[in-house]
Amino acid sequence: MFLEIKDLSVKIENKNILKSLNLNISKGEVHAIMGPNGSGKSTLANVLAGKDDYEILDGKINFKDNDLFDLNIEERAQEGMFLAFQYPVEIPGVNITPFLHSAINSKRKRMNKQEIDNLSFAKLLKSKASDLGINIDMLKRSVNTGFSGGEKKRYEILQMSILNPDLAILDETDSGLDIDALKIVTDGVNKLKTKDNSFLIITHYQKLLDYIKPDYVHVMVNGSIVKSGGVEIAAEIEKDGFQKFQ
Amino acid sequence: MNIQDNYLKNKKNIFFSENKDIQAHREKLINIFENDRFDKKNNESLKNINLKNFIDFNYKYQIPEETSVINTNQENSYSIVSLNGQCSSFKDDKIEITKILDEDYNDFSKNDIIENNDHFVNLNSLFLNSGFKIVIKKNNNIKIKILNIITDDDLTIFQKNNYICEEGSSLNLIEEYQNKNKSTSNILNVIKLEKNSQLNHFLIQDNSPNHNLMITTHSSCKKDSTYTQKVYNFSEGYVRNFHYSELIEANSEVDLQGIFFLKDNNTSNNKTFVKHLAEDCKSNQVYKGILNDRSKATYFSNTYVDQVAQKTEGYQLSKGILLSDNASYFSKPELKIYADDVKCSHGSTIGPIDENAIFYLRSRGMSKTAATKILISSFINEELSSIDNEQMSEIIQKKLVRYLSKVK
Repeated sequence: MFLEIKDLSVKIENKNILKSLNLNISKGEVHAIMGPNGSGKSTLANVLAGKDDYEILDGKINFKDNDLFDLNIEERAQEGMFLAFQYPVEIPGVNITPFLHSAINSKRKRMNKQEIDNLSFAKLLKSKASDLGINIDMLKRSVNTGFSGGEKKRYEILQMSILNPDLAILDETDSGLDIDALKIVTDGVNKLKTKDNSFLIITHYQKLLDYIKPDYVHVMVNGSIVKSGGVEIAAEIEKDGFQKFQ
Repeated sequence: MNIQDNYLKNKKNIFFSENKDIQAHREKLINIFENDRFDKKNNESLKNINLKNFIDFNYKYQIPEETSVINTNQENSYSIVSLNGQCSSFKDDKIEITKILDEDYNDFSKNDIIENNDHFVNLNSLFLNSGFKIVIKKNNNIKIKILNIITDDDLTIFQKNNYICEEGSSLNLIEEYQNKNKSTSNILNVIKLEKNSQLNHFLIQDNSPNHNLMITTHSSCKKDSTYTQKVYNFSEGYVRNFHYSELIEANSEVDLQGIFFLKDNNTSNNKTFVKHLAEDCKSNQVYKGILNDRSKATYFSNTYVDQVAQKTEGYQLSKGILLSDNASYFSKPELKIYADDVKCSHGSTIGPIDENAIFYLRSRGMSKTAATKILISSFINEELSSIDNEQMSEIIQKKLVRYLSKVK
């Protein structure tokens, strides 16, 4: 199993958020998690990426034969996990290009691969940015600083396409995107999809799943997955809302 | 030893001790020391320091064997090595360098408000043993680099420098302080900018833990003149950077910037007092600190806008990053405005490094240390990238790399 989450229970500040959550993702699969506000979707994404704010009460997570809790945040990224943030952080003064260059090389170093030189990286970045309709001038700016909501999400997908992860977690990537931007972003995701990588897509709405076809859809309510199935569940939610699952 | 005994014992080695007027002034200062209760709570010059260490000192001064002024090959560019606060006289058609004279003692040293509030300026006046005066002649554009060296251990340097930029002149002044020996420098710079003149003053401070450096600057700007001061403090010893500024004629400007990089038990005290005394003047202040371990810093800022100073623009900003729970940065920006048509603002933000930004960078594969370093660099990026002198930019980058190498 590529990612195996078993009986995961998590709390933050004395509030239990995830309750005996189970989820298995195999190589090449696309999974979508849908759920109402406050159901714990973003907590799951943050726990997978390694954010420190949470207390793990119980359960196990295996990722590519590693106990995920043995890996720190950067080791998880270097092992091939990528979180596209719901609210990407603005970091004034940190230029995008050297930051991404350093990020890709830290991953290659862990994989015992040769580092990418400046010129090759600049070419790679330019070509990926062009695919996502990102203006080259944007690459001269600081990370997420002064970006519109849509630009931030597009920039997350640019990072994803550069780092080429084995497991990409998209935390409400569709929020704040107009229909054109949504199409560009989802095209970017679809181009990255291969039989060797997997996606976990967190969303409120079916709309995103019109563009990225999931193999499985899970409904998450009150910290647990209450129903799993095919894409038909998304249509059911779109029609009736989450009320019936609560 | 008390101040009076210390002064009397060393009188013969102190400048202008034969001048009766100066003598009388010094007696007044001795009285201030004897009668002051050294109220730390209400005196900003006493915060975060043990004054006893600075008052109860062994006076020692040594006249340097040689001093030098080198006129470099580049046109209008001068290089000075100042030894124990002194440099030899020099004169050409663009600049004039001389020793300070009795008449130069008076100006700022006899300011009543300062006398009652700044004991380090008073110590400087009392024990004055070195200094020089540089005049940039009318309409000249000059670059000067001064390397300040203390030759021996245990020296106590009380130095006063006067800089005068005559009408239409421009001075680019770079000062480096890199003292490795156990010594103390108390320096008072008095800067006068005549009409339409400009002074860009850069101070790079990188002293060893045993060296205490106290720099007080007073600048006064006449019509259409601009004084810019940028301080980069990498010192491992105590540093005090105080600045008093007066915008005395219309359309003059003062721009003050200070960045300090502290670690271990080090302390940096910063203070500015800008007086807007004429219309259409501008002041801008940006002070940023990075504090690790058990280091401490203060930033007291006061901008006073007189009722005649209409159309004033006055801005104050201080920011600090605390890299350790034991580090502290006390910031107090204040505005006193008596004119009704002004644009003024003040702001201060101090806190630990942004954990969300660290998480974001680490989630892309960067180590925590690398992420912390990149965020520190980004915190001061705007100030460092605005340095338009390539040589200076390189020096500062190297010192920044050295500081960051100790950050975990």
